[in-house]
Amino acid sequence: MSEIVVGISDIKWSNNKDDVLVTYALGSCIAVVVYDPKACVGGLLHFMLPDSSLDIYKARENPGMFADTGIPLLFKACYGLGAEKKRMIVKVAGGASILDDTSFFRIGQKNMTAMRKIFWKNNVMVDAEDTGSNYNRTVRLDMNSGKVYVKTSGGENKVL
Amino acid sequence: MIDNILKSIDNIPAFPATVQKVSALLNTDDYSAVEVANVIKYDQAITANILRMSNSAYFGAHEKIYTIIDAVTFLGQQNLIRAVQTAGVSKFYRKAAKGYVAKASDLWEHSVAVALMSQILSKRVCCRENPVLYTAALMHDVGKVILGEFVHESFQKIMELVSDQGYSFLEAEEKIIGVDHGKLGGKIAAHWNFPKEIEDAIAYHHRPDLLKDSESDVPWLVYLSDESCLMMGLDGGVDGLAHRWVGEGLTRFNLRSKDLEQSFILLAEDLKRAKEMIAIV
Repeated sequence: MSEIVVGISDIKWSNNKDDVLVTYALGSCIAVVVYDPKACVGGLLHFMLPDSSLDIYKARENPGMFADTGIPLLFKACYGLGAEKKRMIVKVAGGASILDDTSFFRIGQKNMTAMRKIFWKNNVMVDAEDTGSNYNRTVRLDMNSGKVYVKTSGGENKVL
Repeated sequence: MIDNILKSIDNIPAFPATVQKVSALLNTDDYSAVEVANVIKYDQAITANILRMSNSAYFGAHEKIYTIIDAVTFLGQQNLIRAVQTAGVSKFYRKAAKGYVAKASDLWEHSVAVALMSQILSKRVCCRENPVLYTAALMHDVGKVILGEFVHESFQKIMELVSDQGYSFLEAEEKIIGVDHGKLGGKIAAHWNFPKEIEDAIAYHHRPDLLKDSESDVPWLVYLSDESCLMMGLDGGVDGLAHRWVGEGLTRFNLRSKDLEQSFILLAEDLKRAKEMIAIV
């Protein structure tokens, strides 16, 4: 088994049953995990910010940084390995916030809203999610079983 | 328990004299590179770390730097202060803050990230870098190094307050252990005879609004840098994002959401180039 680490603003995808895709410490960032069980193709995106209009050059160089550039690329990369949209299971985790943050700067909330808009427009249903609250999460996709594991800081490893 | 904690402050090694000497020297107008190199060269650990950092992508050396005098000349005043501070304080983070993080380098990585973020924000709101702010940011979580052991013992109790009773992690530390990691860090800063501005910034890094008799921006910038890093997942441990948001932080500096988001991008860039700074712990 080889562990493939997905950094901040990064996307990794695979069709190798032996791989485990993992991303550490999500904070307000969000991990989008997709998996097609029939084709055994899966991918993991760790995006940091909602909207690429903030810096279009950065978005071109590093599409995984933003929801609106990262999510389409994640799906396309998996289609490239033979995944089909109708079979794809979609799970999301992250988007945590600081306690009682009601300011205009709620990046976790903004990330979730941006992500939901993109899914809504593209008819993507989220099969499971563990979002919000105020703790960090580590997310793993086991390519063999398609299972997604979420571990919270100081907490247990749970199947999502 | 609290007596044991306060007693253990006395066992913390002295703050490296080299760091203070170099900072003082660099704050005078007429220092020479030779003078600075002469202060640094007697401290082997700092010399080794400075050479390693000077050759890092973060400081952008194109040719290899072998001697401390070359490093001093190459780095220049601002970068030298930064390099000496980072190299000098790293030893305090070598002991894992068990209870907060799995390994010592996790807390160090967070500390360096907050220090780099503090300079990004300082440049944005004050148009300049700020060495006092850098020190405060680098040391803001030093209380965790001591408190970690006690948090480890009382973790269940703390988490019950946080999950079920709406306490922030800091408030729960205070309630269960008798002191929070900010205040304890402030006491360590006092033990090292740090300037009051730095001591306050460390003690109140999660609640700068409670610091009534200070006009300084430093505690607020440390606060904003720390919270930003927590949001980016560059966390300081099990407390995660369970800290109170103090809205004045943004309005005080007229920061828009976009400004902070752009700072996230700048920090992500800085961190890629700062691997050697992180690797010294």
